[in-house]
Formats: sequence, C-alpha cells, structure tokens
Amino acid sequence: MESYTEQIRTLAVDLLKSGKVDVVIGYRRGTVPMATVPFMARTQKQAQELIWDSHCTLNLANYLTNRQDKIGIVAKGCDSRNIVNHIVENKIKREQLHIIGVPCKGMVNPKELQALFKDEITSFSESADTLTIASAHAEVKVEREDHLRGNCALCTHRNPVIYDDLVGELVTEPVLDDPFKDVNAIEAMDTDTKWNYFDDLLKGCIRCYACRNACPLCYCPTCFVDESNPQWVGKGQNDTDIKTFHLLRAFHCAGRCTDCGACEAACPMDIHVRAFTRKLIKDSKELFGWEAGLDISKRPPLDTFAPDDPNDFIK
Amino acid sequence: MKVIKIDKNQWTQGMDNAREHYQLFGPVKIKENYCFAPLERDQQPDMTGVDTVLSPKSALFPQTEKLLTTTLDVSKQGHHIMERASADYSPRAVIGIRPFDALAIELVKLNFDTKDYRDPYWCDAHDATTFIGLAVNTPSLFDFSTSMGSGPFDEKGLDVLLVDTPAAYLAKVITEKGRAFMATAGFDQEAAPGEIQQMEDLKKAAEQAITTQVDTDNLRGKSLLDLHQAPFWEDIAFSCINCGTCTFVCPTCWCFDLQDETKGNNSTRFRNWDTCMSPLFTLHGSGHNPRGEKTQRVRQRFMHKLKYFLDKYDRGTMCVGCGRCVKSCPVNIDIREVCNVMNAYEPQK
Amino acid sequence: MMANLLEHMGMEKDRVQFSWISSAEATKFATVAREVAQSVEALGPNTKLVKGSD
Repeated sequence: MESYTEQIRTLAVDLLKSGKVDVVIGYRRGTVPMATVPFMARTQKQAQELIWDSHCTLNLANYLTNRQDKIGIVAKGCDSRNIVNHIVENKIKREQLHIIGVPCKGMVNPKELQALFKDEITSFSESADTLTIASAHAEVKVEREDHLRGNCALCTHRNPVIYDDLVGELVTEPVLDDPFKDVNAIEAMDTDTKWNYFDDLLKGCIRCYACRNACPLCYCPTCFVDESNPQWVGKGQNDTDIKTFHLLRAFHCAGRCTDCGACEAACPMDIHVRAFTRKLIKDSKELFGWEAGLDISKRPPLDTFAPDDPNDFIK
Repeated sequence: MKVIKIDKNQWTQGMDNAREHYQLFGPVKIKENYCFAPLERDQQPDMTGVDTVLSPKSALFPQTEKLLTTTLDVSKQGHHIMERASADYSPRAVIGIRPFDALAIELVKLNFDTKDYRDPYWCDAHDATTFIGLAVNTPSLFDFSTSMGSGPFDEKGLDVLLVDTPAAYLAKVITEKGRAFMATAGFDQEAAPGEIQQMEDLKKAAEQAITTQVDTDNLRGKSLLDLHQAPFWEDIAFSCINCGTCTFVCPTCWCFDLQDETKGNNSTRFRNWDTCMSPLFTLHGSGHNPRGEKTQRVRQRFMHKLKYFLDKYDRGTMCVGCGRCVKSCPVNIDIREVCNVMNAYEPQK
Repeated sequence: MMANLLEHMGMEKDRVQFSWISSAEATKFATVAREVAQSVEALGPNTKLVKGSD
C-alpha cells in the first residue's frame, strides 16, 4: 500500500497547483508507531506530507461537514461511502469535491498487534502484505490479512464507490460466506443473556464521546446527550444512562452506518460499540435490501416512505 | 529517609494487613484494560498493570460524585434543604501510583485547596489517602515526565516510593503517612546499603531511558497574548474531533459539571468530569459561546496546561508528562509537539 | 428497526408494540389496549433501562 503514498502526493500537488481545489484532506504520519493524523494540505509543500499505510483508520468524511471551499479528499471504500452519505444529506456538494479514491486492503488493529508483544511496540513498517513490527526485545512479521480490524475483515466495499482519480488498481471485493455471523450469535441468545452481554460490553465506558465524534454521521449541532432543556438522558456514570446513550447513538445511524469502524478505532477503552450498529446494518439489508452510502441518488430507508416498506411489526 | 525491603513473598500478606485499616485502591483489569479501582477484600493490586488508560485521579475525584442530597417530602424535616451527602473518608491507600500521577495530585491540590476556598470532597479524600508509588523502571515511549518536572523515580506527592527489583520491592518511606502505612502492613526490614545503591542505579538507568525531550524553558517568558493569537492553532486543531478523551485520561484535568437529578422525593446534586473540548463547557445561558469553535477549545486546553497554569501558580506546567493523551488521542494530537511549537514561537513583527 | 434493536439488546419483545388504530376504531383500540396490558403484565415489572434513585 505504501506505493499509494507517492501517487497520492503527486495527485494532491497537481490539484493544488492547478487550483482545482483549495485544500487536500488526507493523512500524515503520526508521532508514534502505528498512528496517522488526519491532515489538511493547503500548499504543495504540505502535500508532500500526505501518506498512506495500514493505519488510516479515521473516516475523513468527518472533516467535510459544512465546508464551503473546494476540497480534494483521499477516500478508501468506507470514506467514499460516507462522502456519499454527506452529499445525500446536504452536508457537502459533489461539485466541491475532487475525490482521490484509494482501493483499500483493510486497516490493521494496533491493539491486536500490541498483544503479540510483552513490551511496547517501537517500530512498524510494511511492504506489500507483510507487516514488520518490533519492540525493544522482539521482532515479528505477520500478514496484514490476519490482523485486520473487525470491520475491515467484514468489508465488502474496499473499492471507493465514487471517485475522480484512482490510486493503484481496483481490488477484488471479498465475498463472505456468513457476513452477519456476529449479529446472529447475539440474536441466538435468550433475552437476559443479551441484556447481560450489552451490560458487560459497555463496562469501562467513560462517556468521552469519542465514538460519537469520530463518526462522520454525527454532525448534529447539539447532540441529544448534550441537550439540557429538555434533558433526554442523565450525564453521570449511571449504567442506564450509559446504555441509553449507546442505544440512541446507534439508532441515529440506522440505515446510514457504513461500518467504517471509526467509532471503535477512536474508543480509548476498547469498547465494541459496533455490536449495536451491526444489528442495524443487518436489518437494513434484510428489511430494505439497503447498504448505506452506495448511491448519491438514493435517500436512506428510514428517511423515505415506500408503499412496500415492511410493516409486519404493526399489529 | 528510611528504605525498607519487602520480600515479594510477603507482599500479599502485607496488603492483607494494610486493608484492616485502609481501604485499598489499586490497578485491576477490567476486560482488556487496567484501571485504578477500590479493591475488594479478596482482590490484590495487579502490579503489572499500573500503567492505566485512565489516571488514578478518580481515587480522589470520581467521574461522578454525589455532593448534596435532599428530600422534597414536605412532611420531613429539612425538606428542600440540600445537605452534604454522606461518604466514607476513612483511611485509604492508593497502591502502585506512578510518580508523575502523584505530582499531578499535588498540582490538582493547588486548585481544590486554596487560601480562599477548600473543596471539602476532594480535600477530605486527599487527607484520608496514603500514596504508595511505584517507580518506573522501564519508561514507555510516551513518557516525557523528566521534561515536565517529574521523573520515573520522582518523589513529589508520594508517601512511599516502591522500586521493583526481581525478588523484592525496595520502599523509600517519604512521609509520616507512609511510615504509618508500612508499620500497619508489617513491612519493617531495613534495606542493606547495596540495595540502596541498586535503587540509585535503577533510577539513573530509567531517567536515561527517557529520550523524549520537550522544551518548556521559554514558555514563561512568552507573551500570553502572542501565544493566544499565534497562527499555528488552526493546524494543530484541524484533526481534532473534539471528544473528551485527552481530558478524561489526563491526571491533572480537574474540571467538573454540576447536575441535579430528582427521582420521586429524592433529589441529588452530582458533579461529573467535564471537558473543555465540548462546546457545552462554555455555553452561556444567553446562548453566547466564547469558545464556540473547535480551534478555540483546542487552544484552551494547551494554553491552560502549558501557559495559564504556569503563569498563575509558578509551579511549572500543568502537564506531568505521563503521555496518556498522546497514547489515547484518536487522531494522535501530540502535546509534546504542541509544547515545542509554543516554546519556540516568535511572533512576526 | 427500533423495536428490533431493543429486542437485540435484551428488552423483552412484547414490551414494545406497534398498532395502527383509526380514531373511529373504538373496539379495536379497546382490544389492543387489553392485549398489550395482558402481555406486559405477563412479563412482570420492567427493570431494564430503568434508572435507580441514585
């Protein structure tokens, strides 16, 4: 994937030089191993800082909301789907964007890699599909495919769905035997086991709202948890309030979530918040035949009415 | 200053002795991560897990703390009059706190215990607490404590400093509180001179192992307004998603928000950790928000840590170099870089 | 989808019910209300997503 870096830089420099865009949004290298920083290049010189590697986990569509300028943006499959969402929801105009599409091979889970070591990881490099990771006392080589983030391992839209330039070649989209194995496993539990599963899942939540803020769908001027008049939910460390927050946060993403995994990548406490949204993704697919962010001419199912909408739930 | 040697096979017994008189707080594993929490009677502090995602500030300053309560039942005496909620301030001890976190508590004290006002909740908890620190033998890549007035073996704010050696903890007893704790635990074997030398050697090695150097020497002399108006904040803030992670994991972030909750006739006033990264933090009743933009909020956090605090108290920066915010930030905003940029900034004339 | 998500999280299915009743359908309203009450009573008091007093 590192060969992408050069191509991204070249495209970004051309775009800035020709004045087609005012800025290019991409990633630059972080200050510690296995980190990238979402980055906005305003000048051709800054464009030389753009990179691509297996840690481009945050979703860049997050940075487009309500911008007025002309923007070049680097987009892997999920970013491109959230750009589609943003266009459909009038958060950005298609004409403002020049999308540098990047076929994605999946991003890795740094916590999983750290777990391979007794001491702290001090360096990381990758070539083709092999990752070389080292600490002060050990060096390990692993395959990227074996250490993908949970959402990347389940991704069937690795190629950008909308783009103006393409970096590299399109990749083959994986076909999954059982794409909703994880959701089915929860569905098979009895009522109280489900309840306890989510109780346990949310242990450790500190309500920093990183999951919400990392999410490109969460752009409300004032979030329901922050409202005080009326106050929908308590603000303390109360289990019911915490669960209410997660339930409603997830539901606001119904029919819109692309499973980009930014929420989980951002969570400092490693909470599997996608357990909520995955159910909504499955239901969108089964009830409405819908996958979010594939088509700029279609609105999400809970945003529209159709006479053949499923209504079995109404007695 | 006395140094006591604690054989590791006596450690558990010592902890059990101590809990007869102290409520113990220590690192415990919650799912995949460690955090400081009150220990159950049969629970031992996990000394391999002291480098926690959250700092141990919650031992004195819980994320949600009940302050006042009252009843709305008019048939009861004192109805509608808020009284301080009862809480347990019997002796407690935090086991395994890192030196930078102990310094952080000293700095937080400057805010909660002032000439004019004493926060009774925090101060009562602080008075009740004995801090049993654990020196950092192998500093993390994220540790820059030596640049920020602390260090891997720093003793500020600690009552006892433990140093981990293969067979024993060497315990430097720093205060009277610390002496009392060691006596209760039954740790009384004095360390040999060779062992004290071993401690010094470990200290030197640990300090040298911290290679990150952050420059703070010019911060004091810089003009507050120059830094405030500097052009670099826009770039620093771009990637920020305005979550509260950095402030929640920070050992010196002390801000809180008050909330009233009523159920039936029971009314309670809480405080919750708040975060200056949230636009709500400064939203006025009038609707005006002096820090309505993300860049203003990001600037506030760094200016408070690295400039306002320094100017106000003359006790160094409000950052102790633990590196937690660098590690937990979803977009890798690095306070070390920001500090260096601020320290080197010269306004264009 | 909301009802499905609640059920997925471990709320009992019958606690959340949806009906479409016209203002002219008094009998249907009474029947549905009775059925809902019966099925919720059968489940017993709800403890989930209910906040304690502190």
